[in-house]
Amino acid sequence: MEAVIQRAKELLEQGEVKAVLGYAKGTGSARRPHFARQAGQLDKLVMDEACVQNLAVYVTKHEVKKLGKVAVVALPVTQRAILQLMAERQLRDGSLAILAVDDGAVKELDSASALEEHLALKAQVLNAKDKASLADLEAMDQGQRWAYWQKELSRCMKCYACRNTCPMCYCDHCTMDCNRPQWVPVASHGIGNLEYHMVRTMHLAGRCVECGDCGRACPVGIPVHLLTIGAEETVHELFGQRAGHKAKLDYALSTFKTDDKESFIR
Amino acid sequence: MSRIGVFTCHCGENIGATVDCVKVAEMCKDIPGVVHSVEYKYMCSDPGQRQMQEAIKEHKLDGVVVAACSPRMHEPTFRRAAGDAGINPYMCEMANLREHCSWVHEKGEATTQKAADLIRVLVEKVKHNEPLHPIKVPVTRTAMVIGGGVGGIQVALDIANGGHKVVLVEKSPSIGGHMSQLSETFPTLDCSQCILTPRMVEAAQHPNITLMTYSEVEKVDGFIGNFKVTVRKKARKLDEHLCTGCGLCIQKCPNKKISDEFNEGLGTRTAIYVPFPQAVPNKPVIDTLNCTYYKTGKCKVCEKMCPTNAIRFDQEDELVTLDIGAIVLATGFKLMKTDAFPEYGYGKHKDIIDGMQFERLASASGPTSGVMKRPSDGRSPETVVFIACSGSRDRAKGVPYCSKICCMYTAKHAMLYKHKVHSGKAYVFYMDIRAAGKDYDEFVRRAIEEDEVKYIRGRVSKIYEEDGKLIVMGADTLMGGEPVVIKADMVVLATAVQSNDRSEELAQTLHVSYDSYGFFAEAHPKLRPVETNTAGIFLAGACQAPRDIPETVAQASGAAAKVVGLFSNEELTREPIVAVVNRQAAPVYSTCVGCFICQGACPYQAIEQEEIMARSGEVIMTLARINPGLCQGCGTCVATCRTKAIDLQGFSNEQLYAELMTL
Amino acid sequence: MRVLRVPCTGRIDYMMVLKALHKGADGVIVSGCHPNDCHYTSGNYHARRRWMVFKKMMEVMGVDMRRITFSWVSAAEGARWAQLVNEVTDQVRALGPYTEFRQVIGAGIE
Repeated sequence: MEAVIQRAKELLEQGEVKAVLGYAKGTGSARRPHFARQAGQLDKLVMDEACVQNLAVYVTKHEVKKLGKVAVVALPVTQRAILQLMAERQLRDGSLAILAVDDGAVKELDSASALEEHLALKAQVLNAKDKASLADLEAMDQGQRWAYWQKELSRCMKCYACRNTCPMCYCDHCTMDCNRPQWVPVASHGIGNLEYHMVRTMHLAGRCVECGDCGRACPVGIPVHLLTIGAEETVHELFGQRAGHKAKLDYALSTFKTDDKESFIR
Repeated sequence: MSRIGVFTCHCGENIGATVDCVKVAEMCKDIPGVVHSVEYKYMCSDPGQRQMQEAIKEHKLDGVVVAACSPRMHEPTFRRAAGDAGINPYMCEMANLREHCSWVHEKGEATTQKAADLIRVLVEKVKHNEPLHPIKVPVTRTAMVIGGGVGGIQVALDIANGGHKVVLVEKSPSIGGHMSQLSETFPTLDCSQCILTPRMVEAAQHPNITLMTYSEVEKVDGFIGNFKVTVRKKARKLDEHLCTGCGLCIQKCPNKKISDEFNEGLGTRTAIYVPFPQAVPNKPVIDTLNCTYYKTGKCKVCEKMCPTNAIRFDQEDELVTLDIGAIVLATGFKLMKTDAFPEYGYGKHKDIIDGMQFERLASASGPTSGVMKRPSDGRSPETVVFIACSGSRDRAKGVPYCSKICCMYTAKHAMLYKHKVHSGKAYVFYMDIRAAGKDYDEFVRRAIEEDEVKYIRGRVSKIYEEDGKLIVMGADTLMGGEPVVIKADMVVLATAVQSNDRSEELAQTLHVSYDSYGFFAEAHPKLRPVETNTAGIFLAGACQAPRDIPETVAQASGAAAKVVGLFSNEELTREPIVAVVNRQAAPVYSTCVGCFICQGACPYQAIEQEEIMARSGEVIMTLARINPGLCQGCGTCVATCRTKAIDLQGFSNEQLYAELMTL
Repeated sequence: MRVLRVPCTGRIDYMMVLKALHKGADGVIVSGCHPNDCHYTSGNYHARRRWMVFKKMMEVMGVDMRRITFSWVSAAEGARWAQLVNEVTDQVRALGPYTEFRQVIGAGIE
């Protein structure tokens, strides 16, 4: 942690960045995002096991973009999200100083190509808990899965916390807000909830960096991250492509191979 | 509130027999927004269309649903009629009561109810229709003809004589195609080369025609009037401009034992060669697979001999991209090979040959100079058996269709044989004699009656060799299936006409449809026989189905007329069924977020970047914009866009949503 | 069966399938030109990927995928189309109304 703070201080003092985005102590043992715009505010930065949020969600906000170049304390998921956002042209290459914190070491990356290189060094592994949950889902039969999700989704009140915490849900005008036509009903009733989560899953398949923030953000504890992570894993299995690994857009659903293999189309 | 008219067509009995059209029209009156609903026997007829036009004016309709046949059939008809009556043509939609209802259901209450439901869906769509305006695009008045056989030559000459530029692309080193291989032609027995070669020369010398021989189409982009075609000019390994066609290189080439394709393997050629003496252009090519220099790195005799130093061993294939307004496919056919017949010895008997090989044996320019000699030992065959329908009309061989030309050429072959070997005996095994055509039946009768060719109605089950003879075991079905055994010196199989090699690949390159046998599909089997379903691409000859020469030439002229007609326009109007990225007032500008994921999904590279700038010149955002000249309206981008910023005119989100919610 | 016309499989938004179910359809057929044979060059290749991912998502959600049929049928395959429609309608009839989904349509609406 000392190294990160030290480097952030240098960047801020030398005027190379206008702000540093990292983690600070929150309520209880939780960690919250922290913007340091002056060197004095850097003391609050912490870096430990409890720092899990994907900070990339903030860097596409207009308010943050307006600041100028920002340094970001970046976990691997944050790095992937930033790279994907650059590929989707939501962030300008070079607009961030990325302080990669993998396994304690600090590495400064300031371009998409440097990120791509860095991310290629380590294979992306799904955490054991999510992997087990996905396997549990897979083991259910169709009826059980339907019942499971219907029970879970019955608690959804469409607060959109899952959407708002997702770094890839950066659209100013979300499909959910599109009312001509109103594809997905606004209300949080059965069909409205089901279709919302289906659409969210489809929009993130091939774009999800698997941070799991959506699931953590849900105030009623619906494991919505299993949907997007599951879809991302499906895309990887089917097409070998992964979100957040390429500086040039490499989105599985806007490309194709003539020999894509499936067995269900008659 | 919409003012929509519904016009239900009986289509004679087609719809009327199973759907109660009077009741449907009555039911439609209750659909909100419908102010007028009538039925008529034939809506597409002149009085039917007039009825619709008068109703548009009288009831001040702003939208129309015609409930009749498939929109593929009559959408243009009714849109035009609606347009003539003063409303925007794209405010007219069709409900398909025929294919989607009356033809697939029994007469009954439920069928009538479904018909009304189908109309209800389209009424909801029309409520969300927007007036659209055709898109104008320029026309490049240069045609490309692919295939330089008799069909391709005819198309090229007709278009060129109509005053337009033509590029004639041929994959082999010379134009002429199969017709240049033929000896004489039915039913007149005039010499094939004598009638074709003047046309070949005319095509080569025509100021409007550019020949690209030894070339193949590699890539086709764009659309009607504006294709970009990439052609691979295969390396001839010589400078065509320097070569005078003197033929010294061919004479001196030491490698003379290569099987000759033009003579169907019955003769030999050199490694540097022209396919036949009358080739156009008369410039050789080096067959790099067989040339000694390419195999061993030594020889170069041709280079030493060439008086103009035209040989270029290091020449590479060249890719040329051309702007083309219309394309005609005239890529012809191939014959099934004799090795496809286990019952006739898998092609291992040298004296069992196919029809094209017989043509070369009978041709004055062939390997035997037209003297009848059988391939195995060069003896004059005293008994020849001709087997029609070899492979054709045979499901086991995958060819259920009739190859059409074999009845005629088999009669011709038997006749030519009898003219050359007066003492010889000719037998023809046949299934049916199909000799429909001007002077065709007379021709077959002449073979039977004047030239005494023995016609036996029946199939041959087996051929085997015994003491230098081919034992042909057949049956005569007109004699109650009695076995017939003929000891023959030579057997000629009239093998099936098949689609040419790589025709499916070419169809995919050009995005034209093809049938399960690889023949290119016409747009309508009766009314649009020379058009494909892809605008601006036309068909001529045996690439579409088995054809003889007169039919090929007639179809070629038909295709040429279509091209000349197309080129008579300054610009083309295209359907405005294109995608559009929405634009809104500042500060939103658009719901597009500029992720450009749509760019990867567009098959036509039609999606461009547009920079939205502030007055200061600062770029506020970069948005997607669709070039309506390139967009073909598939809608793939629409389904890919997360923010629904893209919509497809004519199949918009609002229209489809309204239709779905009316199901 | 009711047919909804779109220019290309590429245009088929998965929302359309969801809306068909929302409106109480007991089965859905999604059909278009064969791969390699796309009238619009490659729309169906994109559609194929989209369906592959969509199908998996629906399975994870527990939707009964026997009710959704994806097929390639060309304009020249009238007989094949008729056979497919007959088979699918028979199958969906045998499955009966999609009550699981219909219950959701009504759920939570006061």
